[in-house]
Amino acid sequence: MKNAGGTGSVPAQILGRHPFDRLRAGSGRPSKSVTAGLIAGLVPFLITTIAFASNLARDGDHDYDPPAPGSYTLPVVKDAGDGALLDTDGKRINLRDLTRGRITVLSFIYTRCAAPKACPYATGVLGQLHSLSAEDRALAINMRLVSISFDPEHDTPQRLADYSEGIREDKSGCEWRFVTAKSAAELQPVLEAYGQAVDKRPNPADPQGPLYHILRVFLIDREGRVRNIYSSGTLDPRLVLADVKTLLLEESRVSKQ
Amino acid sequence: MKTKSQTVIVSRLILAGAFALTLALNLRVARADETCSSPYMARIEGQEEFVYVWTLGVEGLGDGADKLVTVDAKPGSPTYGKVINTTSVEGRNEAHHGGFTDDRRQLWLAGLENSRIFIFDVQSDPAKPKLIKTIDNFAEATGGVAGPHGAYALPGRVLIPCLSNAKDKGGRTALVEYGNDGNYIATHWLPTPADARGAAGAEFADGYGYDARVLPRKNALLTSSFTGWKNYTRDFASLTADAEAMKHFGSTMVMWDFHARQPKKVFQVPGAPLEIRWAWGDKHNYAFTATALTSKLWLVYEDEKGDWQAKDVAPVGDVKGGVLPVDISISSDDNRLFVDSFGDGKCRVFDISDPQKPKQIYEKQIGKQLNMVSQSWDGKRLYFTSSVLARWDKQGADNEQFLRAYNWDGNELKPAFDLDFTALKLGRPHHMLFGATKMGKAPTVVASK
Repeated sequence: MKNAGGTGSVPAQILGRHPFDRLRAGSGRPSKSVTAGLIAGLVPFLITTIAFASNLARDGDHDYDPPAPGSYTLPVVKDAGDGALLDTDGKRINLRDLTRGRITVLSFIYTRCAAPKACPYATGVLGQLHSLSAEDRALAINMRLVSISFDPEHDTPQRLADYSEGIREDKSGCEWRFVTAKSAAELQPVLEAYGQAVDKRPNPADPQGPLYHILRVFLIDREGRVRNIYSSGTLDPRLVLADVKTLLLEESRVSKQ
Repeated sequence: MKTKSQTVIVSRLILAGAFALTLALNLRVARADETCSSPYMARIEGQEEFVYVWTLGVEGLGDGADKLVTVDAKPGSPTYGKVINTTSVEGRNEAHHGGFTDDRRQLWLAGLENSRIFIFDVQSDPAKPKLIKTIDNFAEATGGVAGPHGAYALPGRVLIPCLSNAKDKGGRTALVEYGNDGNYIATHWLPTPADARGAAGAEFADGYGYDARVLPRKNALLTSSFTGWKNYTRDFASLTADAEAMKHFGSTMVMWDFHARQPKKVFQVPGAPLEIRWAWGDKHNYAFTATALTSKLWLVYEDEKGDWQAKDVAPVGDVKGGVLPVDISISSDDNRLFVDSFGDGKCRVFDISDPQKPKQIYEKQIGKQLNMVSQSWDGKRLYFTSSVLARWDKQGADNEQFLRAYNWDGNELKPAFDLDFTALKLGRPHHMLFGATKMGKAPTVVASK
């Protein structure tokens, strides 16, 4: 992804890899000058949000203290679905191989999404978890993040590789895989298995992106069972982290028995 | 070349930027739909096109079966205000409440008497919902829970608050979760003194249930309480004459840690607190309910210390009896509360701009009996139905069964259309839900303004 530049005081290197880069170009999108001003005005937000990312503090959208890990249980929702996908090198991979062996946080996204509280938000939450895992060995070796595109025609392996490059730059964190599908037809069984609703918007130039979808992020245990499902209202990184740790504690208790 | 720490900082900046821009772009998304819908649910982006009415069958009337009735609500349509489809289910099940899944592709409708749940596909053809699955082993699957009261959309699943249990058919009951696929997930029993699970005030807990609603940004799940199978399947006159039976009505509400599904505090709310309506405003940390037997509005609110409290804030008509407030509907701007009363058939409108001091500003006689009310997001259209329960509805000429639509201009309810469900040989209309051809396509929006 190339840097569009002209974005005020925010380092071009950051914006060049920013998931919202696409907002700066294309018909029906905010103009460069408007967006540049918007981005420039975000510096205080960036600073604030960095602190948020580090401390995972409560905020207006998540105004509560999360429950302590292990103080509650996460019942099995269902088995995690399988399907044939492509990794960022274009190699065939079974989704099953990405939902077993580690505690997996799986997010359905598409890179052209510009809807507030949707894909960029979900990727941001996974990014927070990834950053935390860089400083927490238990998370680094036990957690996996998976971002699946439901826009295979546009999100080619190469595009996903570019998209993911800046986001998972910290190699010391946990595994974070970005995958897509060979075709919409091959992806469809995966969408059905996870109940991921996706439809084309009547206006392909819609400012929020060309696809309608609900936000779905899944917590999957090491044995490939869905243990929680998050949407924009529940996708609080503190809750996801508490859930991951709850599953780790559950495994610890089981292994002691 | 960047150092590792620089790399980490850059990475965090990128991710923080995603968050920050998301916050900055968190503009008001055009929202429509019913004002008491789950905040986790996909929204209709414009005006409702259909009103779905879950209708109790009446023996000897039409096919006698419970049915989902679709009414055309599109202004200008040649069939506006008319029934355009009915889909009957097997038998009479004491059809009561229902709800959509979060993707709005399915409508789950519950039967109180035999604990059956009927799942309709409302996506393929919203004008003609299609029955795709029936859950008929509810008590077995859930560990003895009975009387599923409705369905409340959560991410990828539905929360089903219940009224009873299969063992003694009393009021002890639970919240149940099913996946959108129709698979059973979990049962959470309401607290009792013997099963407090750490809840404050558990000495008052009765274990009863009715409604369950979430305020996502506070991680708050609030439940209310009604009565068990033995009471709600009994003839109303006989029931009210039985002093012992009348003791077995809910008198509590419970605040839960929603994420952990753990009860945190039990409130004493005597007189069967029924429907729960959370306010929608960003800073509005409160919900209303109405108590059917004591005829009062109650407010459950977060105090200045961050603790949840409950108190009665206004009477509904004559608190000495006969009014029986049942359903309530909050306006999307949190300024008005519409309160339906079964006993006198009136809808009362309260100014709730000060939630601690609601003031009645209007009332309208809707019918000889009245139960449910559904309000459009813009506050301009309200729909009313008449039936409470098959054995509780009034008798003879007072047993009006209708769907009546009104327009609200801020001061007055003006009739839009009126459907006589008895003359149409449909049955007793109960819960209403809004449908549209765009359902299931809008992105989910969090309950924030």
